[in-house]
This record gives sequence, C-alpha cells and structure tokens, in this order.
Amino acid sequence: MSEHKYQKWIQKDNVVIDGIDISGEWNKMYEPREIMEYDITGLENVRDLDGGESMGWCYQCAQCIGVCPVDNVGSYGPRKIYRKLQTGMDLFTHDDLWMCTTCSNCLRVCPKEVDMMKIIPAVREQAVLNGNVPAELQDMLQNVAEYGNPMGDSARKRVKWLKKFDEPVRDLSKEDDPQPVDVLWYVSDYFSFHGRGNDAAKSMVRVFNRLNVDFGILGKEEKCDGDSQRLVGETGLFEELAEHNGAQFDKYDHNKLVVSDPHAFNAFKKFYPAVTGKDYNLQHYTQFLAEQIDDISKLMKRPFPKKVTFHDPCYLGRHNGEYDAPRILLNAIPGIEFSEMYRCKEQGYCCGGGGGGMWLDGLVADHTTERLSENRVKEAVEVGAEVLAVCCPYEVSRFEDAVKSTNNDGKLIVMDIIEIMDYCMGDDAEA
Amino acid sequence: MSNKPILVIGGGPAGLEATRGIADLGYNAILVDKSDVLGGNPISANYAALTPDMRSAEEAMAEMVDAITDNPLVDIRMNTTVVGSEGDAPNLKVTLQNESGEEVVDAGSVIVSTGFQHFDPGKETQMYGYYEHDDVITIVDAEKMLKDDNFVVPSSGKKPEQICFIQCVGSRDRQIGNQWCSKVCCGIASKQAIEIRDILPETRVFIFYIDMRMYGFWEDEIYWKAQEEKNVNYIRGIVTEITKRGDKLLVKGEDTTMGRPMEIPMDMVVLSVGMEPSEGTTQMADTFKLPLESHGFIGTTGGALNTVQTKVPGVFVAGAAAGPADLEDSISMGGAAVMKACAFLRKSELQPA
Repeated sequence: MSEHKYQKWIQKDNVVIDGIDISGEWNKMYEPREIMEYDITGLENVRDLDGGESMGWCYQCAQCIGVCPVDNVGSYGPRKIYRKLQTGMDLFTHDDLWMCTTCSNCLRVCPKEVDMMKIIPAVREQAVLNGNVPAELQDMLQNVAEYGNPMGDSARKRVKWLKKFDEPVRDLSKEDDPQPVDVLWYVSDYFSFHGRGNDAAKSMVRVFNRLNVDFGILGKEEKCDGDSQRLVGETGLFEELAEHNGAQFDKYDHNKLVVSDPHAFNAFKKFYPAVTGKDYNLQHYTQFLAEQIDDISKLMKRPFPKKVTFHDPCYLGRHNGEYDAPRILLNAIPGIEFSEMYRCKEQGYCCGGGGGGMWLDGLVADHTTERLSENRVKEAVEVGAEVLAVCCPYEVSRFEDAVKSTNNDGKLIVMDIIEIMDYCMGDDAEA
Repeated sequence: MSNKPILVIGGGPAGLEATRGIADLGYNAILVDKSDVLGGNPISANYAALTPDMRSAEEAMAEMVDAITDNPLVDIRMNTTVVGSEGDAPNLKVTLQNESGEEVVDAGSVIVSTGFQHFDPGKETQMYGYYEHDDVITIVDAEKMLKDDNFVVPSSGKKPEQICFIQCVGSRDRQIGNQWCSKVCCGIASKQAIEIRDILPETRVFIFYIDMRMYGFWEDEIYWKAQEEKNVNYIRGIVTEITKRGDKLLVKGEDTTMGRPMEIPMDMVVLSVGMEPSEGTTQMADTFKLPLESHGFIGTTGGALNTVQTKVPGVFVAGAAAGPADLEDSISMGGAAVMKACAFLRKSELQPA
C-alpha cells in the first residue's frame, strides 16, 4: 500500500454520541472518505486458503445480507466482507472474523455458493495459528484442550448430575465388563455441566426409561464433540477430540448413537468420518423419539396447556435438514397451543451461539445493538408464546439470559422439548 | 428458378453467412465489400479471440470465407461500393463502383450487412482523455495488442501492474445521443480481462461497471470465469473522469456498493466503447431509401417477430446494421435474411407483378 496521508480511514459500525446514533455511514465524515487504492491482498490471502476459494465469487447481489442474523443487529455479512476485503481489510486480524455464527442462512440463499461455513473456519485456523484469538475464546479453547469441556470442569464432574438422581443410568465407563447397549447416548457438555442442561438430561433419562430404552452413557470418558472448536479454527483440537470420542464409540458395543446436541450431530455425521474412518448410525434425540411417537403419545397424559413456539437449531435444521422431528414431538404434546415464529424452519433465526458465538458474546456485543438471542426472544414474545421450546443444549441458557435482558421475565419461559415431554409423562402429583 | 442474383452488401460475419446461405439454396449471390479483405470488423479491427468461445477471429473468419470461395454461384467484388439503386425489387438495377469505374448490375433482392463502427471515445461526455493520455486505450486497441501478443503500457512499454476497464463508454448515454446498450462490451471486457490475466498473472485487473450485462451463457462462461478463476475485480460504479498523476492515471468515481468516492491509480485504462451505425450502414439506408429506427440503425418491420425485413420490399438487413449485435445475433440474422430474400424471389416468380 502507498504511504498516502489519506490512506487510513475509519468507519465505526456502532457509534452513539450524546444519545445520537451515528453508526456506520453516518460517522464516515470524520476521515477522508475516498478509497485511494484497492488493496486486494486481503482478498487474495483468503481466496488462496483451502476452503477460502469461494470468497472471491461474490457478485454483490446482497441476498445474504437479507438473511444474515448478525446484520439484523449490526452491520455485517458476507457481501460486506467481500467488499471490505477488496478495499484493504485484513480479515485475519479483524473483528469481523469472529462475528459469523456459521448459521448457514447465507449459503442457503447464495446464488454463487459463497460458502462461509468453509471460508470462516479456514481463515480462523490461520488466526489461531498466529495467536490472533479473542481472549474469551482462548479461555474456552484452553479448557477444552485441558479438560475436554469448555467449562473447564474436571472430567469426573461430567456425571455429577447423576448424584442423588434415582433413575437407572448405565455409565459404561464404570462397568468392568460392559455389555452391549442398544443406544449409546452422547449427553454433551451443556447437558452434563450446566444447571439447566442437567434438568434436560434428567428429563431425557426419565423419558428413555419410561420407553424402556436400553441405553448407556460414556460418563467421564465423554469429551466435547469439537464442532464449535473446529468452526473457530482449532482443527488440531477437533481432530484430537474426534479421535478420543471415536475410540469410545468403538469401545462400547452399541446399535445406535443418539445425541442431545445438534452440533455433535453435525460433527459425528459430517466430520468425524474423515478422522476416524468410520460412519456412525446416528440420530438426534428428536429423531430417535419421533420414530416412537405412537408409544410416546400413549404415555403423555398430563396436559401442557401453553402457547408454545419452537426455535430451529441451525445445526439440526439448515445444516442437516431436520425440521420435522421436533415438530412431531411438539404436536403430540397434549393441550399444547403451538404457533411458529415468523422466521422458522429453513428461514430460522440463529440464537448466536454457533460457530463459537457461545464464547464470543463480549466481542460481538462491541459491534451489535443487541444479542441475536435477544432478537429471537422478542420474536417469540411477539407471536404470543409463553414457552420457547428448544432442542439444542446451547439454547436454554442463551435464551433464558435473553429473556431476562429483554425484560420478558415472567412472560416467556425456555424449555427443552424433552423437558416438556417429561412433564407430560409425569404424574399430576409430581406437579 | 430465377437467375437474378441476391446482392449482399458487406462481408462481415452476417454478410458471409448470408452469402453462403444463398449459394447453398442454389441462388446466385453477389457479395460486395468496400475493403480489400473479407471478415468485417473482426478482421479489419484486429480482433484476437472472439467472444464468447475465445476462438481465433482470423481462423473463424477464414472458415466463413472458405465456405463461399470458388463457388460458381458466388460473385465476390472487393474494393467495391454501392453508389446507386433504381427500380424496385425484384427488378433492381444497382450501381457498383470500384477503382476501374461504375457498373450496373441486376439484383432480385438485397441484404444489407454493413454492420457497425466502434464508438469514437473523443465524443464521450466524461473526461476520459482518450486523445490526451497515451495509456487510455479502447477495447479495440486492446484487441490489437492482444493479437500482437504485446500487451504493455503504451507510454512505457512495460507490463502494467494495475489496469481497469470502464464500461458503457459511448453507450446508454442521452447526452451523446446513444441511448442503447451495445450488448457485447461487458462480455468483451471480461474476455479481455481473462486473456490479460492469463498472460500477465501479476497484473491486477478491475472492471468498473453500471450493470454487468452478461446475458445467456456469457454469465458463467465469461463473467463467472473472469471473477472466480481469473480473480478479476468487478466494482460497481463507472469512472467519472481520468486525470494524469505522475506516471499513473488517476480514475475518479464512486464505489457504489461501498457508498464511497474512489480515486485509484492505474497504469492503463481500457475504455469499453460501444457500437454505432457504420458509415456504410447510413449510406445504404440512404441509397435504398430504408427508414431508420429511432436510434439511427436500419429499421425493421414486425418488431421482435421479424428482425430482418426492412420497410422496403425485397431489401433485408442482417447483423449490426440493424442495431447492436453479437456474433451469434449476426450469424442468425444472416441466415434469416437469406430465407426471406429467397422466399421473396420465389414468390415474385410464382406471382409476377
């Protein structure tokens, strides 16, 4: 780049001065606005990466911006990334690199198939190698590397939720001579370590037991599935986790792998085989249960007379095409009054937790007017829901925070579908 | 069958295809061309590779010329112009002129395929300075440089580090009086950008455009290829003016998708000049009393359903004489004009006036 004195320019995405919003274009006047050179090095560097090629394909139709969940609350999106790259941005060191939640809504509509799900991890991988990682994310990555979970809790605490829990659960890691199970249930981090996740995990056990499912868990041998780590560019860590978990899946004879977490589903289905050389007979729990809906309906006798809406997890829906299973379960809930949000199924809005977003709230907040989860919670309230049903372990905590921060406490509660099913299978006396 | 020949005026792609078609149907053709070589603009303007299939212009035109050479039904008159016409088809008496004098020939029908001329960038309303700056060239100049395998900055003879194309020069402009899109320039600029990136992989190539008009298969075969495989940079917003800054050209305009003004140094600027009716086209309209359409090209009847019939019975038009046309248009119109001209002769034989 030349040494021209007007070379540097600044446009802040979010600026409020004395209560006046001068975000984006409104503050460009503080520096000369001329583009003095198209330094496309940044674009070339992205395009040259394995997986980064399609960054160069954008022809600015801007359909991505119309559906980008981040652009709803800030100014960000694939089309804009392309132009910034063409006008000198170094994405490898820019905050924009960490804004993408890999929700895949842009790819759904992109006529040129610009694939941010490949581009973003490829660029992040380089950023990780160069140590340019936001601190909050770095903490998570260290925890996963050291303890096998993002919380930084010891492996033994993964089964702490089973203490004082009367239901039978086979922890295969504790069995001397583990016999085959029909279903190997991958519990996942948030169900294992997070308080509200524990509630859902317990519901899952009760539902499984009522259905006489022959199931077991990996206990302390389970580790984080690694999908979010892969998406933030920690390819090496992902491969370690895939090898570890893959070895556990091999070790315990089972017919079917059932997962609580759509991110785990995505990893096991699409990315583990390249590491472990194996394909997995895999189902998300909603798929597993939807197949048994007739038996389940007979067991769900207790009505749940609430207005319920459902948030499609990006990694179950857009990434893996499953929209029906959760709805089959919800429609079987006795007494339910179900209504969709405006942005549902293929068009579903992202909670903000994917692609590492779960651990980037601080950075993202610097560039957005509200959290994605807040935007989503408002929509749930707008359609009149009393209950926001979810089926991704990330979401209960994300949305419960958002309910509080948007002052919707008492108006909306967040429940995993399995919790609602468990409730309906329970006795009135338990209420 | 009538022995009266069909007169084809202009030996570019449309005229060559028309002549071939007439002979194939067993009619006589006289092909008149004012220059000393057949092939029209692709040859006289030194095109390198044709859009969109990148075939050598010389090779493709030679193939068309071969198809009519040494055919007893075809009478080729080079260095010849049409200077007058009397009577009505199918009993036209047309005066031809060459350096040895005038000759009156009988013609049963006429196909006018006198084509277009490239817009003269001296007439543009913007300040591009084609005649002031050595390093501002047109896509026609670029074709010649590519054909000569010598694509360099004219003033220095060096390889350019950064060049740009400016689209719509002389087209889509009310002030100039050319309110039409010339159809082919987006494709040609993109095609040249591909060629430049192939021979000069270090050169950064930009195309400043208003709308990229890459209709049909040109979209992915040229536009996508240029962007995706050859890393050509497309920037929306055409340049307003060019000024000299040191040994660089500074192009000024707005980058409209960024909403910001731009002032970018370039080693070389290529103006994507459009099409205008050629001098020959205007003259033939006058000679045969052919009404022009509103843009100044030869008018046709029947709108979209008849692209070759002029308002004068027995006189047809093919190619860019009727408006901006790419090679595919020109060849198709050449064939359509032959069909109509031969049908005109057949009908006049069956029902003599």
